[in-house]
Amino acid sequence: MLWTFFWFELKLRFRSISTYIFFFIPFMMMFFFVSVEDFGPIGPGKVLLNGPYALLQGFSQLTGFGSLLIAAIFGPAILRDFQQDTYSLIFTKPVSKLAYLGGKWAASFVATIFVFSGLVLGGIVGTFMPWADKTRMVPIQLWSYLQPFFSLTAVNIFFLGALFFGVAALSRRIVVVYLQGVAVLALYLILAISVIATNKLDRFWPSIVDPLGLIFVQSITRYWTVVERNSKHLDWTGVFLYNRLLWIGVGIVALAITYLLFPMSAEALAGRRANRKAKQAAEAEEQEKGIRPRAVTQLPVVNQIFSSGTTWLQFASMTRIRLQNILREIPFWAIAILMMIFCAINGAFAGEVNGVKVWPVTYLMLNVLQGGGFLFLYIVAALYAGELIWRERDVRFNQIHDALPLRDWTDWFSKFAALAIAELLLLTIILLVGVVMQVVAGYFNFELGHYLKELYLIGFTQFAMIILLALFVHTVVGNKFVGHAIVIGFTILIPVLYRYGIENRLLLFGEITPYTYSDMNGYGHFVWALFWITLYWLFVGSLLGVVAILLARRGTETSWIVRLKLLRERFPRLAVLAALFLAFSVATGSWFFYNTHIRNEFRTTKNNREVQAEYERRHKKNERLPQPKVTAIDINVDIFPERRSFQAVGHYTLINRTDKPIDEIHLTESRESIDEVRFDRPFHNTLSDKKHFYEIYKLEQPLQPGESMRMDFRASYTSKGFKDGNERAELAYNGTFFDRDYFPTIGYDQNIELDEPVRRRDEKLGELEELAPPGDPFYSNVSLFSPDSEWVTYHTVVSTSSDQLAIAPGYLKHDWVENGRRYFDYDMGDTRIDKFFSYLSGRFEVKRDAWNDVKLEIYYTPGHEFNLDKMMESAKAGLDYYGKNFGPYQFKQYRVLEYPRYRTFAQSFPNTVPFSEEIGFIERLKKSDDLDLLYFVNAHELAHQWWGHQLVGSLTQGSNMMSETLAEYSALKVMEKKYGEENIRKYLKYELDRYLRGRAGETRHEPPLSLVQREPYVWYQKGALVMYALSDYIGEDKLNAALRGFLEKNRYATGPYPDTRGFVAAMRGATPPELQYLITDMFESIVLYENKAVSATVTPEAGNKYRVMLKVDTKKHKSDGSGNETPMELNDLIEVGVFSGTKEHLKPLHMEKQWFKTQESTVEFVVDEKPTFAGIDPYNKLIDRDPTDNLIAVEEK
Amino acid sequence: MLSIQNLTKTYSSGVRALRGISLEIPQGMFGLLGPNGAGKSTLMKILATLLEPDNGSAQLDGLNLVTQKDETRKILGYLPQEFGVYPKMPAIDLLDHLAIMKGITNRRERKETVDGLLQQTNLWDNRKKALGGYSGGMKQRFGIAQALLANPKLIIVDEPTAGLDPAERNRFLNLLSGIGRNVVVILSTHIVEDVRELCSRMAIISQGQLLLEGAPSQAIEALKGHVWKKIVATDAGREALEKDLHVISTHLVGGLHEVRVYAAGSPGADFVPAEADLEDVYFFNLTATERN
Repeated sequence: MLWTFFWFELKLRFRSISTYIFFFIPFMMMFFFVSVEDFGPIGPGKVLLNGPYALLQGFSQLTGFGSLLIAAIFGPAILRDFQQDTYSLIFTKPVSKLAYLGGKWAASFVATIFVFSGLVLGGIVGTFMPWADKTRMVPIQLWSYLQPFFSLTAVNIFFLGALFFGVAALSRRIVVVYLQGVAVLALYLILAISVIATNKLDRFWPSIVDPLGLIFVQSITRYWTVVERNSKHLDWTGVFLYNRLLWIGVGIVALAITYLLFPMSAEALAGRRANRKAKQAAEAEEQEKGIRPRAVTQLPVVNQIFSSGTTWLQFASMTRIRLQNILREIPFWAIAILMMIFCAINGAFAGEVNGVKVWPVTYLMLNVLQGGGFLFLYIVAALYAGELIWRERDVRFNQIHDALPLRDWTDWFSKFAALAIAELLLLTIILLVGVVMQVVAGYFNFELGHYLKELYLIGFTQFAMIILLALFVHTVVGNKFVGHAIVIGFTILIPVLYRYGIENRLLLFGEITPYTYSDMNGYGHFVWALFWITLYWLFVGSLLGVVAILLARRGTETSWIVRLKLLRERFPRLAVLAALFLAFSVATGSWFFYNTHIRNEFRTTKNNREVQAEYERRHKKNERLPQPKVTAIDINVDIFPERRSFQAVGHYTLINRTDKPIDEIHLTESRESIDEVRFDRPFHNTLSDKKHFYEIYKLEQPLQPGESMRMDFRASYTSKGFKDGNERAELAYNGTFFDRDYFPTIGYDQNIELDEPVRRRDEKLGELEELAPPGDPFYSNVSLFSPDSEWVTYHTVVSTSSDQLAIAPGYLKHDWVENGRRYFDYDMGDTRIDKFFSYLSGRFEVKRDAWNDVKLEIYYTPGHEFNLDKMMESAKAGLDYYGKNFGPYQFKQYRVLEYPRYRTFAQSFPNTVPFSEEIGFIERLKKSDDLDLLYFVNAHELAHQWWGHQLVGSLTQGSNMMSETLAEYSALKVMEKKYGEENIRKYLKYELDRYLRGRAGETRHEPPLSLVQREPYVWYQKGALVMYALSDYIGEDKLNAALRGFLEKNRYATGPYPDTRGFVAAMRGATPPELQYLITDMFESIVLYENKAVSATVTPEAGNKYRVMLKVDTKKHKSDGSGNETPMELNDLIEVGVFSGTKEHLKPLHMEKQWFKTQESTVEFVVDEKPTFAGIDPYNKLIDRDPTDNLIAVEEK
Repeated sequence: MLSIQNLTKTYSSGVRALRGISLEIPQGMFGLLGPNGAGKSTLMKILATLLEPDNGSAQLDGLNLVTQKDETRKILGYLPQEFGVYPKMPAIDLLDHLAIMKGITNRRERKETVDGLLQQTNLWDNRKKALGGYSGGMKQRFGIAQALLANPKLIIVDEPTAGLDPAERNRFLNLLSGIGRNVVVILSTHIVEDVRELCSRMAIISQGQLLLEGAPSQAIEALKGHVWKKIVATDAGREALEKDLHVISTHLVGGLHEVRVYAAGSPGADFVPAEADLEDVYFFNLTATERN
């Protein structure tokens, strides 16, 4: 009996085309995951595309999103019998419940397993595609496919199948069946986002309860290095095992509940719902019996009027009916509610950017609302376009409808209007949710104007285009599902086309130019491009609309012959409109084209990379060419913010520090802003390769060793019209910020080289050349930050429009107004600076303060007053600490300046720190232990005035750590003084997490700290961890004294510049002999600990004492750059400790450092208070592969 | 007067639904009889502007139904053979909407018409109920109500009584005949009785061709004295008769076959003369073409 149902159901499944379409989806996805590197989750790097980790990611993500397919297969199994009313036939026969439910479930399970086997096949087939990256493929290892297939996919199919099947069987409602997959996935994504967004380090419980696997796969593998990613599988142990067992259990329970609760009689099944229709009809019938036929009387004579007023009435009525058709359906409201939930939950995270709490200002709120809500608007547009086009045919009202005296366009346009109104309704819901979530967060500056513009002006027009497209497709295509497939395919196609180099937005339907809203600058210069491209697409969309009206089905015959005949009939009436839209499309498109391709050069991302590659190919040969160095700078800059332009006239003083005459001056002009260069002696231009940023000038009288010369130049940038994206962020109506890159750079510039290995391969460049090793004879004399200069004197006069302030490094000598413009004269005086300068202009308010004789200023945008006091406090604390510990501050002023969030960093120029409006200015601290990033970043940038503006290393491996690592360490210390050790330790845990994830994502090779090149996770995160630990081991004073000594020795070095050999030696000098191994481990190697607390027990002793026995496991590994680990011998000083309190708020009872020589050891303490926790390296001072198992709860014996 | 000239229609599937039909249809009820697939619905869809004929024309008082679709739709009342409704919408709302579509822009007039029609079709008490909950008969009456909106000059009702119980059918036919005096009403059906009861004129079509056109009474008159009947006990006996004679129809009467035969004179001793009725006319015409 069970077999009968099973085979029947299975045959049905395999006869249905949908099963094969479902199979095709995972097949194609996995196929592309493996064969196209940037399609899948792995991206560039060295992780094998068909290796265990890549496949694990592919299986977990695709199975996760495949929940929709699982719902789509299991859901209808039972429901089909109810839709087709076959249940009454089945249940009048003696059928056992087990046979019926079991057979259907098992067949659905087999069908789903078949569908998802597409993942395995797709992955295998993808390996062999000719375009696949052969260097990232290994021969097929079947286990790498089957292991995740069975442990993830099959288990998910089992329990999700059981759940979906159960819900469908017990509810028997089609809406539930359709939406449960979406609902589960949506709720799940919310959970996943909240776990990942809150940066939780301890993922034990989230991983265990994670049904779909995205969280636990990420948690388990997050620190895996390349080597591990290419060899390890998920072990059936720990979190992974518990998780799978839990969910298999849930599946079994769901099946049992379904079995117990499913009523096995037609009567009970028909229930109130299925029968409702019949009952209604019967009732109506009953009512009627009493009614006698009325005498036939003449119907009132009416006037038929067909005027334009009637057309309007018809349109309004038609729109109303169609809108009701949408709004009276449950799915619409299910989507709306889901959207609200998404928006609300996302909205709750609006006040959090990268783990930092900020005020949920409207642009941030809108950002998350769009992320949470717009997908649903897209779904509504695409789905209901099909529904509306097919509505009359679906309910078989079409014959009456088509014979109505209704214009074709009235009918079609009413569909657009109804859908547009539905979208406006959803947008309004989004707006309300946003405002409510701002209120919930305690933020009351709603900026309704911004909401309206973003949602109704920009958002709505985008959806209008999607509606127009979808209506067009569904009108033209004769099958609703094919139509849906085309619409969805189309929207997937556009990003794919963009990825493959078609970046001209005139060709990408509905694409609008990118924009960023900024509190400082509003929509700024993005408005015009946005306006024209939106208009263009609306006209193109309208043209599609007219074509759709011409081709609309009307009548009962819908062959193309008939439709073309209809088109000919309709055309005369719509010709004018079509011509108009065509003309407008051409006109707006031409204007856009003129601006983006003629007034401005159009360059794709690929074009830009080609230029970079060509620069390297052509000019790298000049890298070690002896060139003079800049020693003095004087520039007059006129900024025209309202035109996003500037003009500059200036000169450098160059000196020949080499022992040979120099007769060629090489220039790099990476921002294409150099208009003219002149020298104080006869010269001529021998190479002008402006397209690749390079020029060579020949001096007729060579510059002799030791001789100086003056080089004059004119530089400018003029914004013309608008661009198709890629607007220069440096120039804004309010918030100009550009730097030295707009002025000539002497010689070849390594920073322009492409560094991404895959991109280099695309451009047929070899491996990126490593930085020179410390001690390299040439580069020892080249400054890390300004290879073309030494310490310079700096003077500048900068002007801007009358309502703005213009700022550059230097002391303001005087300012004046001339010709309606404001002028500022800045001079650095005798203080020499790095050739590292910036120009800013904006409508600023200024907050002023002072620390001793240092003037402190913050230039900010009105409205961003939130944290000015804290910024001042941080600056003062930093000046105090750095002054005391490292040496005097070389300037008499320190200025922080806000700039628009088109870029999101803070950067330390001499006594001048531009700070993005998004980081810090809107930061908000609620709890005392929230991370105060603003305080930290400001202290970090200030520290660069020492580490970067006093100490500059040579352009060799490792030097960057002497800037970034030391700034990071200095800021940590300043932070520690304010927030206490506990807070810093929490911060360092995140630093450890980021370091371990950073090395896991390494695309080249990880260097030791003293040889770091371009790896921020090493110079920031590892650097901070290492320096903080070192200060713990040898003492803050000792470490600071060593730093001070090193700085004093190398302050303002002019070549040879210091490098990390000297730095590490200085650290060694401060470290006692028995701890020398620390210096080797921290700076010169990649060393990872695996410290683990195995058990801890406590026995009370006399006199209110407690004896704690702590068993620990200690391992230490050395890793190479790819992550191959070798065990190291242990002879290490490691901290152990006993605590009371909770895990979040530990109170140390006893802490000490002990020497460990063996892997397993036991330590004993006696403490005065009853302990709760004990552990080894409990504060994660050392770099530990698994930082979460260092602490363990103390058990009573 | 609706004048149909030589209408032909071949579907893209190759089915020749109409093979040159010409008809003159006066005001009043006009019955269109024919078996399933005869081309009735095709003809009616062409007249209702839903289908494009390959050839031929249809004119109503100077209005070309084939080319002047928009104008035609203004004076048309159409009840398709099979139709659905928006299930969640109350009858009165949908009827009001359709009234607007038909150009009844005056709110008061529209209300009068809609209310009147709902009462005429006995839907008044259920007017606020969602159409999805209507029984088959109620839905059919709603169909007729919408077809009568705005005093149409041309009413086309396709198989309106299919699926109605006898009482419903009665009520429905009454309503139709009451309205259909001064306008052209085309009623297609395969139920002969509908035509006999209602129509002053009729046509029989089969396989896309016109077999007969005229008043029902005349058609009956023409058959008078040529219809004979005989009771046969077995199928074999019936089949034997079909070989030799022009059998119009056979009915089961008390388990025996009553065979009706067309013949100019008595076809045999055991035949008795039968009173010719419209059904005989219908089947005579159908069988006559088959025999040819």
